[in-house]
Amino acid sequence: MALAITASLSATPLVLFAIGAVSMLLVLAFRDESAWSRSVSFYLKLAAAVVAIRVLFRIIFNLESSPANPLLVLPEINLTLAEGVSLKLFGSISALSFQSALTDGLRLAAIILAVGMANSLANPMKLLKSTPGALYEIATAISIAINLAPQLIASLNRVRRVRGLRGQSKGIRALPGLVIPVLEDTIDQSMSLAASMSARGFGRKGQRSKMALKITRFTGLAAITMIAVGVFLLLITPTTQVLDLSIAIAGLAFAVVYIKMSALGSLRTKYRKQAFQSGDYCLFALTAALLVSAFTGVLQF
Amino acid sequence: MITLRDLTFSYLKPDGTPVTETPQLNRVNLEVAEGEFVLVCGPTGSGKSTLLKTLNGLAPRFTGGLLSGEVILDGKDLTGKEPHDFAHLVGFVNQQPEGFFVTDTVIDEIVYGAEQLGMPVAEIDDRIKPIIEILNIGDLLYRPLATLSGGQQQRVAIAAALVAGQKILLLDEPTSALDFAGATEVLSSLKKLAHESGVTILLAEHRISRVIAEVDSVLVVHGDGSVTKGDPATQFNDARFAPPIIQLGAMLGWKPLSISTEDAAARWAKQSPDFQEKKLHEPGKKILEIDSLKVTFGNVAAVSATNLDLYANQVTAIMGENGSGKTSLCWAIQGLGERSAGTVLLDGQDTAELARDARLDLVAMIPQRAADLLFLHSLADELKESDTFAQVEPGTTANLFAQLAGRIDTSIHPRDLSAGQQLALVLAIQLAKQAKVLILDEPTRGLDYAAKRALAKQLQLLRSPERTIVLASHDVEFVAEVADRVIKLQAGQIVADQSPIEALGWKSQLPSQLAQISRADGLVSIEQVLA
Repeated sequence: MALAITASLSATPLVLFAIGAVSMLLVLAFRDESAWSRSVSFYLKLAAAVVAIRVLFRIIFNLESSPANPLLVLPEINLTLAEGVSLKLFGSISALSFQSALTDGLRLAAIILAVGMANSLANPMKLLKSTPGALYEIATAISIAINLAPQLIASLNRVRRVRGLRGQSKGIRALPGLVIPVLEDTIDQSMSLAASMSARGFGRKGQRSKMALKITRFTGLAAITMIAVGVFLLLITPTTQVLDLSIAIAGLAFAVVYIKMSALGSLRTKYRKQAFQSGDYCLFALTAALLVSAFTGVLQF
Repeated sequence: MITLRDLTFSYLKPDGTPVTETPQLNRVNLEVAEGEFVLVCGPTGSGKSTLLKTLNGLAPRFTGGLLSGEVILDGKDLTGKEPHDFAHLVGFVNQQPEGFFVTDTVIDEIVYGAEQLGMPVAEIDDRIKPIIEILNIGDLLYRPLATLSGGQQQRVAIAAALVAGQKILLLDEPTSALDFAGATEVLSSLKKLAHESGVTILLAEHRISRVIAEVDSVLVVHGDGSVTKGDPATQFNDARFAPPIIQLGAMLGWKPLSISTEDAAARWAKQSPDFQEKKLHEPGKKILEIDSLKVTFGNVAAVSATNLDLYANQVTAIMGENGSGKTSLCWAIQGLGERSAGTVLLDGQDTAELARDARLDLVAMIPQRAADLLFLHSLADELKESDTFAQVEPGTTANLFAQLAGRIDTSIHPRDLSAGQQLALVLAIQLAKQAKVLILDEPTRGLDYAAKRALAKQLQLLRSPERTIVLASHDVEFVAEVADRVIKLQAGQIVADQSPIEALGWKSQLPSQLAQISRADGLVSIEQVLA
């Protein structure tokens, strides 16, 4: 995440290249054999496509008017869209303009790679283990939703392959042949997962009064609202205001109380806690360092 | 341990009326003692699965339907409770472990149930050890679930179902998706569990022959709503789901019926009944010529350099464990599948180079999940669509289907057909154009004995001097009955090309049950026995 933020703030191609490379190295170093790791190539292709498209757009929609030392000289096309509004296509492009387009493209690509890396490395199943008890239900729902996507793709591939075995009249009727088995698969799988979880005790409730449950829910709601409002204010106001900061901090405090309270009534135990290891602390330190340097860098310019 | 009183269960239509006149389970009264190992049998669709699910709340909570009567487990009335209220007492394992896993590593999966029940970590530690030992999964604990074989996955699922000290274990056809080795692994683990742990086990299973000698009693769900339970030898009066060993006993008038191979072998030796030679069909003209065919995925050779000729009038069975390359070979022969080298010639033309429609006319393939090919809303629509696409006389597919499966109300939704009927429908659709090659990939998966016998008859009907039939299967008994030629694959290579008599005879490595019982040369399949 830090890599992505830094990328969005930095403007030198070299730094961006470094970020992309680090993302890829991390993926290659830590990936395992799960289906998630295979999405890496998809992100690489996407990143390359983004850079190419960005540069191409700069060439086509050229906003410069005849630069001093053109890198590329193309014939100009002037389109008059309406009275007084004209659009210049192609034309000469300076090295500087080309570079800025490339940097823009690379910045997006680096962000994509950084996010892609997080996606390829982080297994949604692990989310379940590291979430606090209070957020368990939400985390379960999210991880199931995330998990459905690859399953959907897998069954889509299977059914598409199998569909080749039976001919079919042309036209609109081709669609149900693909969609019905896939949807059926997905629904079956979700139902069987839900049944499995339920049969193994998911959803059992501890001994808690209704009042306690109500208070817990209220704290949770308050926490989310205050954090959202606080962060929003922090981001839109140019200078940091005491009020914004205090709202955000109060929100965080509510969140802590909420998590503690709901953990009280929960039955669940955790057999293998996803404890932070030295490596994770290193990562935290690195993240913080990166963010600080990126922000100070931004402030300087 | 388990008491059912007047348990009645019916599935409901959307308007709230029952789907069938008689409920799926009708006033069932049943007692199962603590530590009893019960085999649950019955024809496909009779309600075995439903019965198991009523014992942990999944029915009606997840299946829909209406339940009345009482479910008393371990002295407590749990009628109408949610599945998670049964979780501390009842463990559940179903057909497809991979769809049932909640986490992604073995150890996390095993402890999931105990975590949900709030069991202290120290206690989980104590409970895990003996279970891991019985199921022999100690080496797998930190592996990702996706990398395990089917048999290993199923053993993990069993451990996960019992780790919180559950006293009852329900298994819904746990071996139906496994190959022979995987099924044997799971069933022998269950035997150990039954003997060593005192858990009450209810096992719904198609592969009856391997466990029948181990169980304490057999419970039969008849399909008309009634359920009976008793001694294994007395329960098999219904041939629809009787395994070969029971059929044999019935044919030869054994009383009581033998349920173990050893017992049957001793009786056979005393009686030495007559049997006829196996009728094998002579090869007709050469239909397919497979030349140095190779399929590789990444670095893995799924099929390596295969040469094979396939002849008309014959059923050729391709046998091998899961992952031996059967499916890859089927797809490569069909022409759509991946190939990295080699040719498959049909009348001098490579199947991979045929135009799509021409290939469909000549090569018919039934994939592992035949129902994937069905997508319309009624049987009539499916039959009509097939005629339209194949450009044949209207009614052609319907006639073929009627030959294979008998007359069936065509307004029915294809999903409501039984697994055997769906298979027959797909066969009829795929063969509307009289294809010269018919490929079936694991067709007997999930079929009961009656449906398998029906399929064997259908294959006899479809045998012709113009057609070769290829059958990928690890179902020894089925292959023994239908095949004229057996090809064994191991890690993508053909290791044997024999007649079924050699391949499945009593001296072979893969003997059919009848071969094991009779120890007679040339006898592999039950229809050879003269009663």
